[in-house]
Amino acid sequence: MATAENGSSEPKFRWIGTRPVRPDGVDKVRGRANYGADHALPGMLWGKVLRSPYAHARIVSIDTSGALAMEGVHAVVTAEDLPEIAPEESKIGEGPTNYRDLSRNVMARDKVLYHGHAVAAVAASSPAVADRALAHIEVEYEVLPHVLDGDDAQSPDAPLLHDDLYTKGVEPAPERPSNVASRVEMGRGDPERGLAAADFVVERSFRTKAVHQGYIEPHAVVATCGEDGRATVWASSQGHFMIRAYCAKLLGMEQSQIKVVPAEIGGGFGGKTTVYLEPLAIVLSSKSGRPVKMVMSREEVFRATGPASATRIELRMGCTRDGRITGAHARLEYEAGAFPGSPVGAAVMTLFAPYDIDARAEGYDIVVNKPKVAAYRAPGAPMAAFAVESVVDELAAKCGIDPIEFRLNNASKEGVQSTFGPKFKRIGNVETLEAARAHPHWKAPLAPNQGRGVASGFWFNGGMQSSATVQVADDGTVCVVSGNPDIGGSRASLAMMAAEEFGIDIERVDPQIADTSSVGYNDLTGGSRVTFATGMAVVEACRDAVRQLRERAAAIWGVEIDGVEWADGEARPTKGGGELEPLTLRDIALKAARTGGPITGRASLTARGVGMAFGVHICDVEVDPETGKVDVVRYTAVQDAGRAIHPSYVEGQMQGGVAQGVGWALNEEYLYDDDGRMENPGFLDYRVPVASDLPMIDTVIVEVPNPGHPYGVRGVGEVPIVPPIPAVANAVASATGIRMTELPLSPPRVLAAIDESRG
Amino acid sequence: MNGLGYEAPQSVEETVALLARENGAARILAGGTDLLAQMKTGAAAPQLLVDVKKVRELSSVEEDEAGFAIGAAVCTAALAEHPGLCAAWPGVVEAARLIGSEQIQGRASLGGNLCNGSPAADSVPALVAAGASCLIAGPGGERELPVEEVIVGPGSTCLEPDELLVSFRLGSGKAKRGDAYLRMIPRSEMDIAIVGAGVCIELDDFGVCHAARIGLGAVAPTPLRVDAAADALVGSRVDDAALEAVAAAASAAADPIDDKRGSAEYRRKVAGVLTRRAAKIALDRARGEQ
Amino acid sequence: MARVFLTGSLRALAGSTGEAIEIPARDLRELLTRLEERIPDIRRRVDEGLSIAIDGDVISDPLLETLEPDSEVHFLPAIQGGRG
Repeated sequence: MATAENGSSEPKFRWIGTRPVRPDGVDKVRGRANYGADHALPGMLWGKVLRSPYAHARIVSIDTSGALAMEGVHAVVTAEDLPEIAPEESKIGEGPTNYRDLSRNVMARDKVLYHGHAVAAVAASSPAVADRALAHIEVEYEVLPHVLDGDDAQSPDAPLLHDDLYTKGVEPAPERPSNVASRVEMGRGDPERGLAAADFVVERSFRTKAVHQGYIEPHAVVATCGEDGRATVWASSQGHFMIRAYCAKLLGMEQSQIKVVPAEIGGGFGGKTTVYLEPLAIVLSSKSGRPVKMVMSREEVFRATGPASATRIELRMGCTRDGRITGAHARLEYEAGAFPGSPVGAAVMTLFAPYDIDARAEGYDIVVNKPKVAAYRAPGAPMAAFAVESVVDELAAKCGIDPIEFRLNNASKEGVQSTFGPKFKRIGNVETLEAARAHPHWKAPLAPNQGRGVASGFWFNGGMQSSATVQVADDGTVCVVSGNPDIGGSRASLAMMAAEEFGIDIERVDPQIADTSSVGYNDLTGGSRVTFATGMAVVEACRDAVRQLRERAAAIWGVEIDGVEWADGEARPTKGGGELEPLTLRDIALKAARTGGPITGRASLTARGVGMAFGVHICDVEVDPETGKVDVVRYTAVQDAGRAIHPSYVEGQMQGGVAQGVGWALNEEYLYDDDGRMENPGFLDYRVPVASDLPMIDTVIVEVPNPGHPYGVRGVGEVPIVPPIPAVANAVASATGIRMTELPLSPPRVLAAIDESRG
Repeated sequence: MNGLGYEAPQSVEETVALLARENGAARILAGGTDLLAQMKTGAAAPQLLVDVKKVRELSSVEEDEAGFAIGAAVCTAALAEHPGLCAAWPGVVEAARLIGSEQIQGRASLGGNLCNGSPAADSVPALVAAGASCLIAGPGGERELPVEEVIVGPGSTCLEPDELLVSFRLGSGKAKRGDAYLRMIPRSEMDIAIVGAGVCIELDDFGVCHAARIGLGAVAPTPLRVDAAADALVGSRVDDAALEAVAAAASAAADPIDDKRGSAEYRRKVAGVLTRRAAKIALDRARGEQ
Repeated sequence: MARVFLTGSLRALAGSTGEAIEIPARDLRELLTRLEERIPDIRRRVDEGLSIAIDGDVISDPLLETLEPDSEVHFLPAIQGGRG
């Protein structure tokens, strides 16, 4: 446990901050770990989904008889097989999830709203039979005009995706339906007055394209549903409790009728925080009486699962000659895809967070005939940061002030009222900027055609609900049971916190991720919350167990519990408690049966005290002036992690966020043809960076401990994808003198801008 | 499953006989790096795969006084391990080494790259620049064609269903000659060329270019041999003016389309840039400076 | 006396011109009841997509949360999908 030494305020830890081998590492390296598609059951069928060939059409009829008549076909599912969720029931339950929309996204009802929208599903004896069966389902469509772009969708004569969608957040409530689902507005002070008083004002319009999370593992599920209506589901996701809740709501089942067993997850990045196949697999299993396995192809992942929003952002920001930002205003339009729910609200809240400024932002959530967006690391924030950090860079240049100094001049810090409302608690914004400024990278020389950019980024991080159990075995080892799929090394971090609490070797801690029936409820793995919130539950559960261990030692010694202290994995008499031989964890565990039974620590909590986090990235690029190709040649990411439990996984999160952000900045984009078909649904033409596209990404972990967590943890998984886009764009501007405001900064686009600037 | 057959003949004659028997229902399997991907997506549905890797002429690199005979199915990684070929035709080898990833290189072949018929095939412009010819076997015997005549449109070649590409013929190593290949891709590897440019330059004793060949990829329905660009070099010392002229001629010869990988305008510009840069590398190699 | 901060259309609905309105309440349930006098459908709006932050902590299920005399309560857009 943490102890202060020599009066120093820096706690001394045995495990926190070290880099042990991760507990799940060997299985993953050796190929023994079970991912979503690895599970199989006897008698299992294969499920496949028939998808819409149109971007927008009315479903006139579906005839499944041809498929059902085929040998080897056991069941067919359409929207008819799912309960219809009435509009008034769409928001039942917690959170912003609209179950009516979710149901219609999982299986189209009445209309298809994007190319690739699920229309029917079959279960058959083999994948080949299932594929052939899809061709025998006859769907009659009445093709409707479609709209693919957020600008076009707002036009008065645009085709309406939902004739019952009225813009929310506008008073008085509109009388006509629209593709604009909602408007949100946030702000602080009177930015217009500040803008009027500014010496310099920069006004820019930015555009970004839809991008995919790009997880390597496609969605995969096995479901088996018995005659008693109870289902067991094995799936790769960011939250098996989420799958249980969503499937129950979409299928009209009780949550207690569904058990979800988590598989290892091959990447999620927010994209696996919802359901696509799972409800269909349950219904197919229920109808066929056999287990059903469904695995998406990469093409299906691109055509039908959530990308991040395409956006348009208009931004005005002004400052005084001496570099004080006087005001800013932003208008953000985010495409939601086929159903409302882009992360524009988060964008509106985060975009000005690094700055202590008067600012206002209004955001619009717009539906278009493309797949429904899903969360993607710091949802909504990277695109907004592209706009803000680009303009901040321009203002700093106009003032002739170093861009890090400029950011420090305007930096938000503890006690400052954020532009989204609450006052900041202890945050590390200034410390990360100072660490970036002090890094040798910031002053390193540049070669010809090279440029350097810097950008800040912010994310709230999440708390939410977590549960954990720790079980002490009679050999003195500890099993830590929690319920969050491990997408970023959280198992290692949880085990380390447990080892620290018990004062035992990390090898004696076995972290397990239990199914929905074997551990208390856990909200999903997301919001950078697991090491923070579930970590808090693990720490509390450990402290619960340690208290019991002290009670047992007290009973063995015949003293009061206050006479027993716990340190270095053993119970010791407190000072003046006499000459008692310490009892190790193993000693006490061996006697558990005779001192009161098994020793199990528990905790369930709603985590408060989330530590908001900031990062600052420095990027060097080299631009080929004749081809427009941008190479990232050096990159340094600085981030406040609160306290890094396992620094390697903090660094891994930082490097991964940078890799994804650089891809987003340079080459990733959904390309659509005029009919609304994605033209690049594969990794050949949807260009995520390959390893050789990236330099070594240097990392600097700043530690401004979060007072709201027992070890000072802040979430680390999302912040690092926020700064890369503007860091790259600012570096391109520095290399070329050209301010690029439209993503991606692909070679054709950069060359066109260079050629245009030359006249 | 709908009966997919597999044969692995030992000789050219046997292979040609199999192809003739199947009358278009067979596909030749070399490395399979294109074919298997096409079969997965349903773009190809052959009834018989004829694996040619056991045919000696297709799976070896032979060198004699006349030059090299590169088996059509030799994997590109093996080309890079052939010191004679690397010394004589560095541009051809560097083009072959751009196909796919390190793992793919253990399977992918020049023959497959050509017969896949892609206008963007990386090895083809380099082979065109090198003046390579193709030895093709059929029921009626053998014929030899310049490499640039094999691809006749996107995804199609002049080979008859019962013909087999046996090998590529390249000249022997020569002093004062240099070749080079460059391509434009948005990433650093694992991608398809938006533009590819192969250049071969021969200098006389006075440093004047007396022969040149230039191949362009991904700027027309087929890879191109661009004589107008080559003519811009011949008779020059490959100075800056000549390099500008070759760039302009390459851009002018390019006849690209707009597609998801790049606009026509972009491809035209970059065709000139890459041809000029490849010419400079080829020049340095001809001068023995690289 | 909690200070309640409203933004956008909520502020207009509450008839508020300043940054904050003061509402005496010991917990959030009581606060929402008092707020209903100004915005009758505030509970529906919260259910449909507003988050509530008490003293800087965004609370997912805030009804039982107690308020300090100087607490600041912010009504924010729900971070939809904000669980990256």
